[in-house]
Amino acid sequence: MTQTPKTSRRRLLKSAGAGALLAASPLIGRFASAQSSAPIKIGFQQHSTGIGAAYGRWYGRTTDAAVKMINDAGGINGRPVEIIAEDDGTDPKRGAEVVEKFSNQHGCDVAFGTLFSHVVIGSAPAAGEQKIPYFVVSEGHHVASGALNRYTLQPGITDVKSQVQAMAPYVSENLGKKVTMIFPDFAFGHDHRDFFTAAIEAQGGEVLEHIAVPPAETSFTKYFPKIPRETEVLYHVMVGPAVLTFVKELGEFFGPSSPAIFGFIDSLEAVDLASPGLEFLEGTYFWEGNPRYAQADQTEYDQAFRAAVGVDDNGASVSDPSDVSTYAHMFGCWETLNIIKAGMEASDYQSAADRQKLIEAVEAMTEMPESMQHPQGPKLFNGKTHQVFGVQYISRVENGRLVKVHTTSIEDTLYPDEVDYTTQSF
Amino acid sequence: MRLRNIIIAVKLALLWCSPALAHVSEQGFVLLLPTGAYISAGVAVVALTVIALFAIPERAVTRMFSVRALPSRGFGTLPVVTSLLSFCVMCFGIYIGIYGSRNPLSNLMPLGFWTVGWIALVSLAAFLGNIWTWINPWVGLYHLLRIKEPLVRLPEGTGVWPATLMLVAFAAFLLADPAPDDPARLAQLVAAYWGFTFLGLILFGPNWCRRAELGQVLFAAFASLAVIRLQPPAGIGGPGWQIAQAPPVRAAGLFALTLLGVGSFDGLNETFWWLGQIGVNPLEFPGRSAIVGVTVMGLFGAILGLIVAFAVVVWLGMRLARKQVPFGLAFGWLALCVLPIALVYHMAHYLTAFIVGIQYTIAAVSDPFATGADLLGIQPFRVTTGFFNRIDTVRLIWVTQAGLVVLGHVWSVLLAHRVAITLFGDHRRAAIATLPLSIFMIGYTFLGLWLLAAPKGA
Repeated sequence: MTQTPKTSRRRLLKSAGAGALLAASPLIGRFASAQSSAPIKIGFQQHSTGIGAAYGRWYGRTTDAAVKMINDAGGINGRPVEIIAEDDGTDPKRGAEVVEKFSNQHGCDVAFGTLFSHVVIGSAPAAGEQKIPYFVVSEGHHVASGALNRYTLQPGITDVKSQVQAMAPYVSENLGKKVTMIFPDFAFGHDHRDFFTAAIEAQGGEVLEHIAVPPAETSFTKYFPKIPRETEVLYHVMVGPAVLTFVKELGEFFGPSSPAIFGFIDSLEAVDLASPGLEFLEGTYFWEGNPRYAQADQTEYDQAFRAAVGVDDNGASVSDPSDVSTYAHMFGCWETLNIIKAGMEASDYQSAADRQKLIEAVEAMTEMPESMQHPQGPKLFNGKTHQVFGVQYISRVENGRLVKVHTTSIEDTLYPDEVDYTTQSF
Repeated sequence: MRLRNIIIAVKLALLWCSPALAHVSEQGFVLLLPTGAYISAGVAVVALTVIALFAIPERAVTRMFSVRALPSRGFGTLPVVTSLLSFCVMCFGIYIGIYGSRNPLSNLMPLGFWTVGWIALVSLAAFLGNIWTWINPWVGLYHLLRIKEPLVRLPEGTGVWPATLMLVAFAAFLLADPAPDDPARLAQLVAAYWGFTFLGLILFGPNWCRRAELGQVLFAAFASLAVIRLQPPAGIGGPGWQIAQAPPVRAAGLFALTLLGVGSFDGLNETFWWLGQIGVNPLEFPGRSAIVGVTVMGLFGAILGLIVAFAVVVWLGMRLARKQVPFGLAFGWLALCVLPIALVYHMAHYLTAFIVGIQYTIAAVSDPFATGADLLGIQPFRVTTGFFNRIDTVRLIWVTQAGLVVLGHVWSVLLAHRVAITLFGDHRRAAIATLPLSIFMIGYTFLGLWLLAAPKGA
């Protein structure tokens, strides 16, 4: 359900007497003052199928809600926004084909919305080749690392390097300085290992043991005895179907006397924390990109964001309390679409010929205050690295709910630039 | 240029695969269930059925599949009308596929083809009979052409060989193609297949549909498990009586085994075990494009492996029974008895996909052109997968799937025994002749239940 009502306008304009219809449609009338009433077309590279489908569904709902808000407020430069969602199957090769289709077949102005890193990495060269701005919502460090190109930007969600690094001050000051890390033994886990180890050492702490678990493992009891006795904090980032087993076995291993436990909500995104077997998580800490449960100090923006997407105070769908959203990530679609709007308005974007102006306008962005456009919190965009930086949240599980206990500063998330995309030619 | 970019992309992908974000989904809860105990119980039920065959009287088995004749009834031109309607629906689907939403989850072409057609209607054939004779999009138009004699005759003994090959090709598309859901591609394929089949129909007459048209042969195969049959020879009997009644046409047994092989591989190819065999990190699935070749090879291997294993157990059974029965006949007829397993695999495997897909289908019917319409008045309609997030509903789903798998195997064991009585003459000899097959089916029960319980990564 990610194709939005805007499609109808495109078809109607194409296929029938456009003038008569323009007069007949109150929606169209609202946009008629612009130089062109043709819609701004945003190609939405969606993980509708494949391993990313659970995220794709919520990215779709968030995208629909954001576009509705933008269109209700008059669109972009007086033109309606139309989303063209193509499924990439969470597949890098298809991702590249989808980006090409956006540019060649659908006449999209920009491409947007990719989550999975390997799809971003597979698609970015196509965006560069097609010279189409490609706004990803992936969390990966690949944008800021310099591995991609000038056409690829990540202005609506922070990257894993800054997220992990920003956890270290709180962990070392409040939970302990002697950390044991347990992580899946592949790139995702290695990122956490490398980034957090460096960050905790910078805080005067140390990692006592790195426990790498083979990705296909489904039982973990044999790894727990490797956790050194003097461990004060256990840092875990397990992912995949065996996560619940991991938590259950961890609880059975430690019983009531465990070290402080810190994890990334990625492990349990879209999982109800009140699920049986997860009782052991009570009192443990999580990074959250955006607090899943409405907090005591909830902003009006978060409240309005939830209402627009159809998410309740527990982060679940308003129509099904057990349908838990991917709340820690999906705000990125909302914010990215608002940045596309802001960039197009700043550059007076009219057509594909203005794509470079759009990229330069986004590159020129810096501070993004917390607002309806940025409900997750304030952000700072780095035009050189094409990566946004923003506050991170640490929550503690209390009575089966995540309660925010700490908000990092943006400064906690910053690290030296690794690339300057603005020096690359278009 | 593109090749270079792909190489760069692959290299980068190897270097940078940051947030995997593989979703826990229902499989996480399945891993918490005592599936080991459930599997043991399921296997025990099938094993006890096999043992019981040595104890129960022959009458008990023959009665299970006995049949009472019903008067055959014709429906006149009604199937022509429904076929023409179906043709219109298909044309609409093709139009939507090409010009509708690009998102397969809001486009009626892929939703209608996969969720409604492949998952639901194919399963329903086992209960309602061959509904394809009513809803195939060819016979209506063919009837209007009033062709008296086919231009060419299909060679004698073609059997369902062409349809079996079509099934393998279809399975390769289903399991290995990078984008079987893509609305426009699927619409083009459906249109091409329609043209190909209609050409075959004009050239070879209705025989073409019975021998080569995958839909007809597939629906007929599962319809042979239905309790009631209205076309001649019409009758009502224990499910499977149609198979027990008469020896199969050529290659029908191979078709049934291929169907089961496809169903089995469709479960296997998602497991951590299979991904490990092909060197894929199950938490970092690289996408279907990266494994097209190996998936096709796996599919062929699964089908061939099953056929060879089945031939061996039938041959062993014949040796044990010490009765001269043509091998081809015994193999083909007993192979039809795996159809209940193929059916329950189909239903169990797709149950979860169905409960999600049908929600998208309802939403798309209400808004067929993705224009924000609400023809059914269901808005705000939000697709949910919340039942995968709760252990009670996950348990219910899993036990339903496992129950279906066990039921299918028990059904198969009994049906094979009934066919063996006809083949080998008496009850005791039939029990001995099917003993290797029964042991094979006990093993297959374990495989089926293990597939449901195994961690999955694709």
